[in-house]
Amino acid sequence: MASDALNSPDSPGTGLDTTGVLRFSFTRTQGEFSLEVAGDFGPGITALFGPSGSGKTTLLNCLAGLFKPDDGEIVLNGTDLYRGSPKTFVPPEKRRIGLVFQDGALFPHMSVSGNIMYGRARTPEPDRRVDVDHVVELLGLRPLMDRSPGSLSGGERQRVAIARALAMSPRLLLLDEPMASLDARLRGVVLSYLRRVHADLGIPMVYVSHSISEVLALAEDALVLSGGRVVASGRPSRVLLDPAVGGMVRDDPVENLLDGRVIEPGGMDSSGRVKVGAIEIITPPIDRPVDAPVIVALGAEEIILATEKPSGLSARNVIPGSITDLDPVGDGVYATVDIGVPVLVALTQGAVDALSLEQGQDAYLVFKTSSIKLLDAAPLG
Amino acid sequence: MSSDLTIVLLSLRVAAVAMLIALPIGFGLSWLLVRKQLRGRFLIEAVVSLPLALPPVVIGYGLLILLGSRGPFDGLAFTTFAASLASAIVALPLIVRTFVVALEGVDPRLELAARSLGAGPWRVLMTVTIPLAYRGLLAGVLIGSVRALSEFGATIVVAGNIPGRTQTVPLGIFTRIQAGDDQAAVRLVVVSIALAVATLIVHDLLLRRGGLSGRRHRAGFGA
Repeated sequence: MASDALNSPDSPGTGLDTTGVLRFSFTRTQGEFSLEVAGDFGPGITALFGPSGSGKTTLLNCLAGLFKPDDGEIVLNGTDLYRGSPKTFVPPEKRRIGLVFQDGALFPHMSVSGNIMYGRARTPEPDRRVDVDHVVELLGLRPLMDRSPGSLSGGERQRVAIARALAMSPRLLLLDEPMASLDARLRGVVLSYLRRVHADLGIPMVYVSHSISEVLALAEDALVLSGGRVVASGRPSRVLLDPAVGGMVRDDPVENLLDGRVIEPGGMDSSGRVKVGAIEIITPPIDRPVDAPVIVALGAEEIILATEKPSGLSARNVIPGSITDLDPVGDGVYATVDIGVPVLVALTQGAVDALSLEQGQDAYLVFKTSSIKLLDAAPLG
Repeated sequence: MSSDLTIVLLSLRVAAVAMLIALPIGFGLSWLLVRKQLRGRFLIEAVVSLPLALPPVVIGYGLLILLGSRGPFDGLAFTTFAASLASAIVALPLIVRTFVVALEGVDPRLELAARSLGAGPWRVLMTVTIPLAYRGLLAGVLIGSVRALSEFGATIVVAGNIPGRTQTVPLGIFTRIQAGDDQAAVRLVVVSIALAVATLIVHDLLLRRGGLSGRRHRAGFGA
């Protein structure tokens, strides 16, 4: 939960604060631009959103200690990292906050393993909670360890950068548009790696992105910056789908990105089948083998919601679930339907009224096979 | 008249001490110029570059005033150290200019990444900045050394031409030509040429291998 109270940037800390991992409230002016932000990041994945020049990178750099605020406070797990008065400034090398740059910023004069061990070697023994071998395995980097960064692909570089930051057992991981330089296929791969890293290691993350779909797939919380100010914060499906906010970011149709596994690839005249959680989704033919991990991309606008099980439909997917949230945004409503995993469905206010939809109600998701796109996911292990 | 060996060894010693003075100062100034948005940047650049534009004799005279009997550092004029100091000052602008280019080739984001990974400023310098800039830095050392070895004008004014103490190779050549001993002069000229050619060859090899600034290493990072 991010607070949007900016009225007291230097109010004293509330002492024991168990809700937020990172609490900040500070100002920084550089030239014409001023950043004046306050927020609270939880133990999950928080998305940081905003148009270019809104101060996202400056915010991350201040949190990591690479830039100094002018005044205010930054508190991580109850410890002051920065305080305007009395003056406290913990230098970046003492913060153990991992930072993943847009294009990786790998050290070109070191091998992949040299890069990964750089931070590790400087982490005090008792703080080494993350098992490097596990991270290397998790991110599929084992075969790359002796390579030089110059010979890696964009997705590989990004994964090495993530591993390098994780290897020092960071207390918080900041990712500055880690997908910006990746093509669509690799996005799915890095996305599933990030999910796995968070599930396995439980390190809180702050994730800068321009893609609403990415954020919806990854983050539990969102903070929206514009012109150096926090303009919105809260649950991503509520905050980011607001047209006022959505207009500031990339104009892409909102997609559900669901982790799945191929049950049957299908072929020339038969559909494929993918298991997502406990349910099965009928998809177009898949050019991947049985058991391969895939990401099922399904547009929120492509799904029909029914309150009773429909019959006699040409749409092949009819999946039962229950409505967990109804978020009015703009002139529409986004329903979150739990089918084992949360799926976002775009509705009109008229439809919500006509069906008198409410939270907790059972519902069926209906969508055509042809509305599904399949993306590469990260191979396991 | 000093022997050839005495002159050459003294010359190397003077140049070595000059480098010990000029390199740390040169590196510090270059680092400030490249990494810090200094208000007085232009002033520092101008002062550092001045010896490049002035006749060395003027530098020597300025030093003589400082190190001479009426100056604040009385007793240093006409010593081996004075010769080194004169060489250091004329070599400094070349060193700074080369170092600045070398350091500009190192992406500052790599240094920031290293800081965030737990390396203090000193360690970042040793493990990231210097390894990435080393070709350019080495080129600066070589160019500075060549300039120090060939220094004449400032040296003769502030350090004189004392055999065994301040008579370096260029001063030795000058003395021998004036004395009409062409053969002895030519021997030192050959030594001089050999030293210069050797240094320039090394410099050229470094340039060809990877670029003066190690720019090869600079990844195309976005904004």
